Amino acid sequence: MTSIQFFVLALTLYLVGALASLFASPRTSRGVAAFFGLIGSLSALLAVVFALTEGTPPSLTLFAIQPFGEFTFQMDWLSTLMVALIALVGAATSLYSFSDAPANVSVSFFTDLFMASMLVVVTVTNAFYFLVFWEVMTLASYFLVVWEFDKKESARTGFIYFLVAHIGAALIMVTFFLFFGKAGTFDFAGIRAASIPSAVKDIVFVLAFLGFGAKAGMVPLHFWTPDTYAAAPSHVSALMASVMKKTAVYGILRVCVDLLGGSALWWGFTVLTFGALSTVFGAFYALSEKDIKRLLALSSVENVGIILMGVGLGMIGLALSFPTLAALGFLAALYHMLNHAFFKGLLFLGAGSVIDKTGTRDLNLMGGLSRRMPWTALTFLVGALAVTAIPPLNGFVSEWFTYQALLNAAGSDLFALRVFAPLFAVSLALAGAFAVMVYVKAYGGAFAGPARSEKARFAKDPSAASVVSLVYLALGTIVLGLGAPWIAPRIAAVAAGFAKQPLIAVSAGWTMLPGSPLVSVVSTPLVAILLIGLLIVPVVVVAAYGGWRASRRSNVEPWSNGYGYAAVMSVRASSFDQPVKVSFRPLYWVRTLVERPYRAAANFYNAAVESVRRAEPVVENAVTRPTLKLVETAGQWIQTLQMGDIRLYCLYIIITLAILLVVLFGGSGS
Amino acid sequence: MNPFTLFIIGILQAILLLLLAPLYSGFARVMRAKMHSRTGPPLMQNYRDIRKLMTRQEVVSEQAGWIFRVTPYVNLACMFLAAMVIPALTTASPLEAAGDLILIVYLFALPRFFLAVAGLESGSSLAGIGARRELLVSALAEPILLLVIFVMALLTKTTNLGRISTEVATGAFPFSLAFVLGLAAFAFAAYIEMGKLPFDLGEAEQELQEGPLAEYSGRSLAILKWSVYLKQLVLVALFMALFIPFGAMTELSIVGFILALIVFPLKAALWYFIAAIFENAMARTRFMNAPAVVWMALGMALLSFVFYLANV
Repeated sequence: MTSIQFFVLALTLYLVGALASLFASPRTSRGVAAFFGLIGSLSALLAVVFALTEGTPPSLTLFAIQPFGEFTFQMDWLSTLMVALIALVGAATSLYSFSDAPANVSVSFFTDLFMASMLVVVTVTNAFYFLVFWEVMTLASYFLVVWEFDKKESARTGFIYFLVAHIGAALIMVTFFLFFGKAGTFDFAGIRAASIPSAVKDIVFVLAFLGFGAKAGMVPLHFWTPDTYAAAPSHVSALMASVMKKTAVYGILRVCVDLLGGSALWWGFTVLTFGALSTVFGAFYALSEKDIKRLLALSSVENVGIILMGVGLGMIGLALSFPTLAALGFLAALYHMLNHAFFKGLLFLGAGSVIDKTGTRDLNLMGGLSRRMPWTALTFLVGALAVTAIPPLNGFVSEWFTYQALLNAAGSDLFALRVFAPLFAVSLALAGAFAVMVYVKAYGGAFAGPARSEKARFAKDPSAASVVSLVYLALGTIVLGLGAPWIAPRIAAVAAGFAKQPLIAVSAGWTMLPGSPLVSVVSTPLVAILLIGLLIVPVVVVAAYGGWRASRRSNVEPWSNGYGYAAVMSVRASSFDQPVKVSFRPLYWVRTLVERPYRAAANFYNAAVESVRRAEPVVENAVTRPTLKLVETAGQWIQTLQMGDIRLYCLYIIITLAILLVVLFGGSGS
Repeated sequence: MNPFTLFIIGILQAILLLLLAPLYSGFARVMRAKMHSRTGPPLMQNYRDIRKLMTRQEVVSEQAGWIFRVTPYVNLACMFLAAMVIPALTTASPLEAAGDLILIVYLFALPRFFLAVAGLESGSSLAGIGARRELLVSALAEPILLLVIFVMALLTKTTNLGRISTEVATGAFPFSLAFVLGLAAFAFAAYIEMGKLPFDLGEAEQELQEGPLAEYSGRSLAILKWSVYLKQLVLVALFMALFIPFGAMTELSIVGFILALIVFPLKAALWYFIAAIFENAMARTRFMNAPAVVWMALGMALLSFVFYLANV
């Protein structure tokens, strides 16, 4: 079979899974959706494997409707990378949802539909169908967010998500209609070939960047993400954070780089600046959360920022005709996209099983889970170390490339870049330091210390299938980190391919390098081997002193200045970040400023509910009540006719006969 | 230079730093006592403490999980790795593929992460408070370190520590105001990271009973203390490699090796001497006042960057 056949098979399997789950009981539907989701993802993965071996980008046209054009899938390298990302994460979330997704027909149906729509979005080569499936994706995820629709909170969150997603979609729609106006076609190939005036290009960039940026959750359009991810079931939160956000970044790359053909300098600057802001503010706000899912959602804002920084640097590279910068920027962005998909998927699924077992999202009510849920704890730790960019895991690799791209930008001739690139590097470092705090808080709050609630005391690991999915994602995280010298050139080829830039050297043997070995070389596998190998040093040191003979006691209470120990004495998650909140108060003040639109939208929703509530009595007073009254009065009138007297009924019959006779004879007589 | 020889030198250098680390901390304690007009502990007291702790029974809080247990070992292994890759005796990094500056800065986050989680795992409030303070202080120091590193990388067109060190040592590198200010800012940041007064916030002995170390005992405490000593010396070595690599070998030779063996410990001693003067001239401030002092260091780093831009 060819890659495109596997691709169509994957789509079919997702759709079959979605439809089949409609006709099953809630519990069976979960299994059906998970099963078809899993084999669909495997099929998509095979499509990727075959696409890598095939020379030309595989494509398939299903049908064509005028004036919209052909409905064609094409797996060029960027699309192939996106399909791989969806398949790799989709396999994990499907496996997880076998037993740990909510048993709910609607959730099962929309999960598979959601995955199918994302596959189409990243491969379709026509703006019209892109929009249609973008909308399907948004709606499917909307229904997944409001799955607990009877909760007031959930309905409100869903409404805000719906609103923001559609404002974004509207901007994207205008973008594509502008294209249609200039190029006369919705086909990407036609748009690419058309000559578009630079003023229109600028407008298109702004619209597309804001539209896709809202979906990607960049600051200041991030305000909907924490609530939305918290409301969705955990496997869906994982999909939304790991994959759906990336389809938005894909949109930026496709429209602003590929379709517009290159970039103006200020576009790249805009993307870079928004990225840097997202990085810092995402990390800050994540730190102040005590809800584990909101914390992860805001940390995704930070990571989207890192990705956008890479994209922005790449665009600047294109605008300046600086191939090394372009290649490094896009490489960093694409690599971080893949990395974030793995570790954030892992963290959301891990958080999901913790929430499932403890019945709360509040970090303050967890604690001590590392002994109750060893697998979840271990894999969550791997994810946490990766997301904080600790070498040799994968987060470090992509951040290192981002730093190298920034260094290249700082060394360019453009004065603005020379000033701002190092400052953006500082913001990245600051965000990195705060990410460490965020994840010490998340891991420490959930897994360390004494259990702080009754349920946390009796939690246990999720089912075997879910543990496998967690371990798989953790291994993926490790492979992407240690295998960087072998994976980076492949991603660099994707980046160079779609940006139409010459390929640069990003690895040699066991090391990765930023274009030239003279700048630097880093070998993540070597660091890993040394770190593990050097554990021998403390062991030898202790042995040299005869320390291993000393005994160990581990049944004592922690020291509490001579008082009896109580679990409440341990540092809770919400007090962990207190020094930061005090030291950086102005930044949290900015938060209230930024989140104003969110509150405005929430108020609007409340007002809408209220006005419906008020409209109801109005309709009742004006229409329903009078009608009822009329019927009632008419009934009473009619009742007076029916006195129950037999003589009266005889009179009625006679009157009726008389009238009939008059009508009949009067009619024939004339 | 032959990579294999360099690797051997790296291991020797790491062992040397490991063995010397408690001595320098002892030296700092002696200095402190002298400035207080006290007799103070003997120079070798830290070694005796370690020896004593090693054979003592270890008492572990019942709340603690496996991270608490492995943290001392992870910390020492990580610091040993840093000691191996930072050029101290040579100007080239003994292990080029791990001698990247950004890598080294991020590598320091690993022990910090583990130590903070261990503090939370122990369930002790003192350890927990120490953990969160330690992280805040590092979060304040890290941007300064990175900005200076960026300025140095821009001046030398590389982020490899060995290459920067060689350029500075051989004088291929133009001396400038940016360099001097970068030196000052980096020294300040390293001073903060070393946890010297008034930045001994995480392991504040007087108020937090050594913070994250509070629940450790026996061999774990010995290893952890040793890795804290080593971390301080590694930061000194990092500073020396970036700004004062003089005396280290640019070419391999026996004479050069012996010279480096003499010069590096002297440079480190000088650092500890100056640091001790600063430390004892300062009073402990309230924890919340620390960021204000750190802004000054960030200001210096920014100024260094501005001078780099202006090419002064």
